[in-house]
Amino acid sequence: METLDQIFVLSKKGILDFLGTFLPEWVVTLACVAITIKAIAVLGPVTMMYLTLMERKVIGRMQNRIGPNRVGKWGLLQPLADGVKMLTKEDIVPHGADAVSHFLAPILIVIPSLLAFAVIPFGRGMTPVDLNVGVLFFIAVSSTTTIAIFMASWGSRNKFSVLGGMRSAAQMISYEVPMVLSVVPVILIAGSLSTNDIVLAQAGWGGLKWFVFTPWGFFAFIIFFLCGVAECNRSPFDLPEGESEIVAGFHTEYSGMKFALFYMAEFMNSFTVSGLAATLFLGGWQGPFLPSWLWFFLKTYALIFVMIWFRGTLPRIRVDQLMGLAWKFLMPLTLVNILAAGLWYFTEGAARWLITASILAGSFWLLTKLNRGYTPEKRVYLFAE
Amino acid sequence: MLPLTLLVKAGLYLIMAISLLAAVASVSLPNIFHAALALALALLGIAGIYLGLQAEFVAVVQVLIYVGAVITLVIFAIMLTNRMADRSTPAKNSLGAACLAVAAGLFSILVRFIRSTPWPETTSAPAPGTSEIGQALMGPYVFAFEVISVILIAVLIGAMVIAKKDNPGEDAP
Amino acid sequence: MIFGTGILQGLMVTLKNFVTSYFKAPDEGGIFTVEYPEKRLPEKERFRNFPFLLYDKNPENLRCVACDICAKECPPKCIYIVREFDKDGKPLKRPAVFDIDFTVCMNCGICEEACPFDAIYMDHEFEIASADRHAKLLYHRDDLLKSNEYFHKIRPTDASAIDARRREAEEKKKAAEAAALAAQKAKEAAAAQAKPPEPPKPAAGA
Repeated sequence: METLDQIFVLSKKGILDFLGTFLPEWVVTLACVAITIKAIAVLGPVTMMYLTLMERKVIGRMQNRIGPNRVGKWGLLQPLADGVKMLTKEDIVPHGADAVSHFLAPILIVIPSLLAFAVIPFGRGMTPVDLNVGVLFFIAVSSTTTIAIFMASWGSRNKFSVLGGMRSAAQMISYEVPMVLSVVPVILIAGSLSTNDIVLAQAGWGGLKWFVFTPWGFFAFIIFFLCGVAECNRSPFDLPEGESEIVAGFHTEYSGMKFALFYMAEFMNSFTVSGLAATLFLGGWQGPFLPSWLWFFLKTYALIFVMIWFRGTLPRIRVDQLMGLAWKFLMPLTLVNILAAGLWYFTEGAARWLITASILAGSFWLLTKLNRGYTPEKRVYLFAE
Repeated sequence: MLPLTLLVKAGLYLIMAISLLAAVASVSLPNIFHAALALALALLGIAGIYLGLQAEFVAVVQVLIYVGAVITLVIFAIMLTNRMADRSTPAKNSLGAACLAVAAGLFSILVRFIRSTPWPETTSAPAPGTSEIGQALMGPYVFAFEVISVILIAVLIGAMVIAKKDNPGEDAP
Repeated sequence: MIFGTGILQGLMVTLKNFVTSYFKAPDEGGIFTVEYPEKRLPEKERFRNFPFLLYDKNPENLRCVACDICAKECPPKCIYIVREFDKDGKPLKRPAVFDIDFTVCMNCGICEEACPFDAIYMDHEFEIASADRHAKLLYHRDDLLKSNEYFHKIRPTDASAIDARRREAEEKKKAAEAAALAAQKAKEAAAAQAKPPEPPKPAAGA
């Protein structure tokens, strides 16, 4: 059990020990870094490939279809076939496009998504880089995606691209605020910005003392996850690439592997956001019986399933609803949530459950009331009688 | 370990060179959008230098605020200006020489002050931990912190007042 | 009412679909897809596709008489017929060449309706895809020939009706022939009887 839990750590240590027998120390240090980077660089794209398959299968099942099942058993080789297709497609650059921006954007958009993997604790002792500002690093890195999206949209010299880019930037800036604020209670209670420490702070109760099982944690989790879905530009927040309105948004003018890179970034983002949500609120790799890394991947994939489930269920929301949800509902709720977490920190026993839960429930109810849309009882016509 | 130290040093100097080049590019490129992107690269390079100095918090905040927010705002502003799709706007005009002179003067003053300041050298760099920064903000500097908050709130309210239409029914047919 | 209850209801619907798609039968909410190359839906009798030529008993005995009516009626003109001649240059009642270009054929079935000899019918065969449209999709006479038994297999109702009609027509024809023969015979007999210059009286009297 212990070996199984630490299998990746042990195998890395084994490789390094083997290299240490005949190589100088500094090469071994470099190799240590290289192995971690390699693991992330392989994990990211492979995750993306199989997320596309998972998405198509799950959406298919939700719509009473079967989904891809022709290439390999259960369509398991479908991502490879797609990859070959993408690589052999013609690369089209529109006439009058800004060559530098158009070329660099798909490359730049993948970098933040890959960097975000660096602070995710995949298991016990399996955080690639245990930064003491891990959560902040994640947020900072994912906020730079906007620039790549701007480059793609502006470089394409296409109206729809620019519209999509502007929408995307507006959306990401808006949703970054409640996302960051929803993480604050976790940092407050765990007393650290390091992802590894946050996971360790959720130890106890047989590996089930997750933050999501507290009132503030529950609300923060929901808010964080919704904002994460919006940050990934996934349905129902997929206005930047709304097919029925602006073709494909900022990646309208991309084809072949460049287009695939945008998709890769999107899917890796959804993986890392789910992974961070699992880390912050669902106890990360904490859990009974199973190996730690398995727990992490189970939780992450469960959250990704929820994202796909959203996509299979919800229609795209309007721009004013999008902004209204972020600024008028999630933002005040996160501020109340920070207050609740502070009260939780300073009170004890059953009282803190009662206080925080009642405050949050009350403010949720109040915000619902305040945010209720205006529906006129009688339709008023401007010109007709 | 010597080769590693050399490697890190070489990397740091590379980052410095890149950010200097990007900074020069950001004021000399004819295309204003490219200039903004070059500015983003320069700011990222500065974040890289912070990382090299083991100031992780400052580096991350640099990326979050400057690259994530300020550059986005700059690009927004560029996109909202007229004729942004024009190919080449000349980046120099008759005032170029004067500007250069002023910049050189400012630079020489800065260099003089930097050189005359005694910089204490410590072997173990005191990494500014997040908790120390937090305690400093809530302790000795709490007044400045609160004043900044008040100013930010005032800015927010002011922005809302400016953005709000005077007469909402004006545009309606 | 609070935020999100409607969304939760919608989410439950899709989740139910997701779960039932694994366990339920097609008519109870499961997946109703029939995975085509492995499984297929039963063919409907009235399904029609590309035409084929019918023969009775053996391929030499095909019904087509090379009358060229179907080729003339064919809207996209995908049928090409050349009549067969014997050694003396006398035209025969059968085609030497009967080509149908399936890349042109639009499966309208007008040839079937136009044929007065019940020789051409629409088939159920639809998996004719090929990589070479010039060589593989231009069907010649021998590719198009199919037996009456095959026709009975794919379209039993039509086939029996047509067979019955043909048999009736045959019988009528035979009867007519017999009648004609009888009439001929009677005529001949009459002529034979009339031949003797002076027939006996009873015959003349009859």
